[in-house]
Amino acid sequence: MRRSGKINFLAQGDKYRIYILFVVIFGFMSIFAPKFFSVFNFTTILNAIAMNATVAIGFTVVMICGQLDLSIGTVITFAGCLTLGLQPLLGFPGSIAVAVLGGALVGFLNGILVAKAKINSFIVTLGTMTILQGAIYQYSGGNSISVTTDEAFAISDFLQVSLLPLLTPRILITLILVVAVEFMLRRTRAGRNFYIVGGNRNTAWLAGINTDRYLIGAFVLSSVMAAIGGVVSVLVSTAATLKLGEISLMYVISATIIGGTAMSGGKGGVLRSVIAILSLEMLYTGIILFGLGNEVKIFFAGLILAYVVLYEAYATYRHEKNLGQRPELMKELATRLSTKEKKLLGSRGA
Amino acid sequence: MSDNRGPAPDGATDGAATAQADTRSVKTGSLSSLVNTAGVYGIALLFLVLGAVLQFTGAIGNFLSPQNLLNIVDAVALVGIVAVGMSFVTYSGNYADMSVPTTMGLTGYICIELLRYGFIPAIIGAIGVSLLIGVLNGFVVGKFKANPIIWTLAVNYVTMGIIRLVWVNKQIYPDMKGSSPDVVALFDAIYRLRFFKLIGLPLVILILLVVIGQFVLTKTSFGVKLKLTGSAPKAAKLSGIPIETVIMTSFVLAAFTAAIAGLAVTSLSRVGAWYNGAGYDFKAVTAIVIGGMTLAGGRGTILGVLGGSLIIGILNNIMTLIGIGTFSQDMVRGAIFILVVGINAKSLRSLGRDDA
Repeated sequence: MRRSGKINFLAQGDKYRIYILFVVIFGFMSIFAPKFFSVFNFTTILNAIAMNATVAIGFTVVMICGQLDLSIGTVITFAGCLTLGLQPLLGFPGSIAVAVLGGALVGFLNGILVAKAKINSFIVTLGTMTILQGAIYQYSGGNSISVTTDEAFAISDFLQVSLLPLLTPRILITLILVVAVEFMLRRTRAGRNFYIVGGNRNTAWLAGINTDRYLIGAFVLSSVMAAIGGVVSVLVSTAATLKLGEISLMYVISATIIGGTAMSGGKGGVLRSVIAILSLEMLYTGIILFGLGNEVKIFFAGLILAYVVLYEAYATYRHEKNLGQRPELMKELATRLSTKEKKLLGSRGA
Repeated sequence: MSDNRGPAPDGATDGAATAQADTRSVKTGSLSSLVNTAGVYGIALLFLVLGAVLQFTGAIGNFLSPQNLLNIVDAVALVGIVAVGMSFVTYSGNYADMSVPTTMGLTGYICIELLRYGFIPAIIGAIGVSLLIGVLNGFVVGKFKANPIIWTLAVNYVTMGIIRLVWVNKQIYPDMKGSSPDVVALFDAIYRLRFFKLIGLPLVILILLVVIGQFVLTKTSFGVKLKLTGSAPKAAKLSGIPIETVIMTSFVLAAFTAAIAGLAVTSLSRVGAWYNGAGYDFKAVTAIVIGGMTLAGGRGTILGVLGGSLIIGILNNIMTLIGIGTFSQDMVRGAIFILVVGINAKSLRSLGRDDA
């Protein structure tokens, strides 16, 4: 039932806010930022987001389940280090497999601890994050790992070959993963179940859904996606620095929330998160193109995260405050009432 | 009907089980909490004995030497100071303050910058700025109920951005900023001052903080409000407790002790760097959890947190002496953290109480 046209329009605006934001940032940067509007720059931006976009896929699913995964940043670095560190021993197929499986194992551990031991997800992942951080430094000895064989360079070149304008194999991998997971979430029963588990775990259980299995699945997906992001990233750069995934967490969390995935769970989508990542990256690229430094970029990224968390919290706060009240009814009354009565209503904050 | 959906989540059980949960709940008096706190110190003592045994078997040298014991105490002092403040946040049911690392870093920068105006203004200015961060954290988490971990993490990034923006990625040194040598000497003394050539100033501060903290938590009306806010925020709000103010105060306390620790660390390293406080957030949370304070809030003691810091300190020292690197120590700490939280959550649930 439609209550009034205006509210409906606002609700629609909120639903599509990320697409609107995308168009606004794109338009602004195209007009004002020097050298922004070029195929070369767009390819650079798409390459730059390839890793974080892949990571955001899994992170969004975890957040749809109403959980958080703080370990993604270290999983990226972990998988990157394993890929290049084990390459001399196992060759690329072997080392990539070990890296992705290692990621899956971390996710499985997170999931078991959250679902079975019933510990808060951000406490668990804070712990695994610290463990992994130690493991990474222990393994690499604090140095970055690089592989400088012809094979590595060939793979790196291949991943950056331009198949079509704006489309390199690296971007294609991300695109395929996004489409696959988005399809899974929207069209399959398993995908819908993630939303039900996130929306209300008890209801989901009473409806006959194995909630634990979905929680574990979400964490495994998150870590595997983070591992794939790390693997592809180091394959392109042929070097794994220990700072690879350092601030990915910040980018991915803010993008996922901006994309409209609720921290309380049960709402959101992978494509929206990726569009948000793209919008943010355009913003950061614009900052760099305006001639501002990397520090400004980090500062802005932090500020944006703080803003979206605050906005989200404030929206929930307003929602809870207005719960049980009917602002549209009060407004309608206000149009009919005399000015004296309006004043009375106004003092009650209608 | 339901064969493969796994065990029921909390709250999805039927009425009979809920009634059962009531009978299972056990009253904990002051005696049992004393035993719990004593247990923490018992574990600390166990680790001391372990160190001694390892020394006698020849695995490690010099564990019991006065110098080494002093090292342990010094290390405990810094972690302990952060942990005591942060435990108020944990006690209020808001898990942890992740903005501690850069708060510590920023404190160092501000203090070194202000040293040219004298020692006291520098300290006051530095602590003042960190209190602002605490107020901000407390306001957003208390008033709007933002997820405390994510919000303080965001503040951590913003503060890091501010430091790296304002000081252009540079470290600063106390003697470079045109401040008088006397003032610099005073600043250096923050960490190095020793009473009777033994007890460092940070340790004295820690003991003071523990005594005051324990008093505030158990004997004052604020402590009672905090306990109710931590264990049942809705009930607290309905009974007229200003939970926004209570939560804000707890975050301000955390920022205050982080500032003190930040000053001590900066004085120790004689350099202001944005990574000065790196790792202290997690060390402090681990100490708090090991010390018997549950992450669900409203349970635990400051004395226990001191014991937790002690355990962390002794464990680190033994691991260093055995030759386990700093990074492997991170792994051990992380594993212990998860283990303790897991056991804690499980035991609380088996008592029929809420989950941590």
